[in-house]
Amino acid sequence: MRIGADGVLRYTTAASATLILLMLAALIVILARAAMPAVHAFGWGFLAEREWRANELSRPLIGPDGKTVKEDGETVMETIPPKFGAMPVIYGTVVTSGIALAVAVPLSLGAALFLTRISGRRFATPVSFLIEFLAAIPSIAYGIWGLFVMAPFLQEHLEPFCRSMLGNVPGFFWMFHQKVQVGKDTIVMPIAMTGRDMLAGGLILAIMIIPIITALSRDILRSVPRAQIEGTLALGATWWQSCKEMVRFSRSALFGAVMLGLARAAGETMAVTMVIGNVIQINPSPFAPAQTMSSLLATQFGEANNELHRAALVEVALILLVMSLAFNVVARWLVVGGASRTAQAH
Amino acid sequence: MASSLHNRMTRASNRVAFVVCILFTVFILALLALVTGYLVKIGFGSLSWDFFTKEPSGDPKFPGGMRHALVGTGVLILLASAVGIPLGMLTGVYLAEYDAKSFIASPVRFICDVLAGVPSIVVGILGYELLVAPFSRYNAWAGSLALAFIMIPIVARTTEEMLRLVPNSYREASIALGATKAWTIIRVVIPAATGSIVTGIMLAIARVAGETAPLLFTALGSRFTPTGWSDLNNPFPSLTAQIFSNSIQPAPETRALAWAGIIVLISLIFVLNLGMRVFTRSRHPG
Repeated sequence: MRIGADGVLRYTTAASATLILLMLAALIVILARAAMPAVHAFGWGFLAEREWRANELSRPLIGPDGKTVKEDGETVMETIPPKFGAMPVIYGTVVTSGIALAVAVPLSLGAALFLTRISGRRFATPVSFLIEFLAAIPSIAYGIWGLFVMAPFLQEHLEPFCRSMLGNVPGFFWMFHQKVQVGKDTIVMPIAMTGRDMLAGGLILAIMIIPIITALSRDILRSVPRAQIEGTLALGATWWQSCKEMVRFSRSALFGAVMLGLARAAGETMAVTMVIGNVIQINPSPFAPAQTMSSLLATQFGEANNELHRAALVEVALILLVMSLAFNVVARWLVVGGASRTAQAH
Repeated sequence: MASSLHNRMTRASNRVAFVVCILFTVFILALLALVTGYLVKIGFGSLSWDFFTKEPSGDPKFPGGMRHALVGTGVLILLASAVGIPLGMLTGVYLAEYDAKSFIASPVRFICDVLAGVPSIVVGILGYELLVAPFSRYNAWAGSLALAFIMIPIVARTTEEMLRLVPNSYREASIALGATKAWTIIRVVIPAATGSIVTGIMLAIARVAGETAPLLFTALGSRFTPTGWSDLNNPFPSLTAQIFSNSIQPAPETRALAWAGIIVLISLIFVLNLGMRVFTRSRHPG
């Protein structure tokens, strides 16, 4: 009887644990199956293709002599099937995540150094709690704040300021102007600054990943052995020099923390969807609207009504999943690996 | 002693860095104040009894309320927890108590952490492919499945962490008195960690209550308060999806409902977070 009860608990919990492995497998397999039609249609070119067009185009068929083909006096039309390519949304994700990291990492590292090397214990706890509360705010709330507060601020103050400062500087022409196709001509027009662009997306992501990077960095810096810090001080280092030594010491774990922030930024959906401008294009300027992988899914998945469109969207989701898995795996290996290396004699 | 240029630069950069770290921290807290301040201001300004008691009327100028969405989110969380909490806890027990003689414990722990980082919109698409596409209907089951998928790794890891905090002397004493491992786990270890495990569950619920993306193509949304079991087979309302839908409407009265919804949502999450902290501190006094 007793052995039976032991076995029951052990195998029930083991079954539950195996479920976790099944969950990951199911995620990958089911998404891969649903993306198959698009994979067959586009192959590897899907990753590099720059055009995303969900509708069919109808245009006059041009014959081998360069003139439109006419049958029975009527122009023959050819239909061009939908074409899907992931490059624009990969670009959007990379740029917004890059901006987010560029802004969030210095801020987070500074806050982590403050919490471990400047403030006392009584002050550090409430400040940590407040910073972690930033993480508890749901993404849709950030989206609303971004759309109704940050985007107008960017549109009315920050971006015109940038234009007035840098608009006439020779190297920055691309940042404020773009080439536009009008009929057969290509003309250069200034980029309309709506405040909903890659810059807005990057900034809102930065705010969202600051708590994660700060909390992780704080824990990582706290685990640097006191002997290391005291050693640098004994050799006459200033406060800042000993801080730099702390960061150098735990650089791989800190890099892992940054990667976790990056993984979060790349997968974030609602906040980015509301401020990124939702235009599928590749434009080098951060003041141009764009689309990230997750915002593309959020805006188009509900309305896709043909098989290929949906499969292409699932393929984008698969790319997003693989990216986030890769970041997470590398990051956890770095952070966990770093912590265990710190614990041994260095 | 004459100080060299190098010395002076080192001391200057030291002072600058010190001030910059403080400034950055203040800046982050200022951002927090900015965001929550704005949401609180517009939210409390838009709260009304109607919000809690009425359904959407379809009239943009007199939009009604979000009672349906509150009920909807409650039901979705309930369904997700019915699956997510037991499975998460069982997994957590396995990871904490059967780790030594198991070769799947390490991979499972690792994959739990990895799954927790999967973008929630991808989980929503999984829910769509599993429970919406085969039936050609958005429904609450798919929504709950997606939420449960997010809950399980969180509950599993927090349960494991909390069980590990129970001192080994408890387990040894129980075994020494002749109890089986199963009895020890169920009647000694888990009760000792109950408060903390509840904290972990509250964390998972707070996380899942604020999710929008996984519900976009699973439960979608609806204007009607769910009343019976059959409503679960149809598009189902939720607070987050309704907030999103209202916030992009042109009529300011409709948008005001979204602000009220946001403040209710944030208050719920804040209360859960505070409750967690209070719970944990009262368990470990001093």
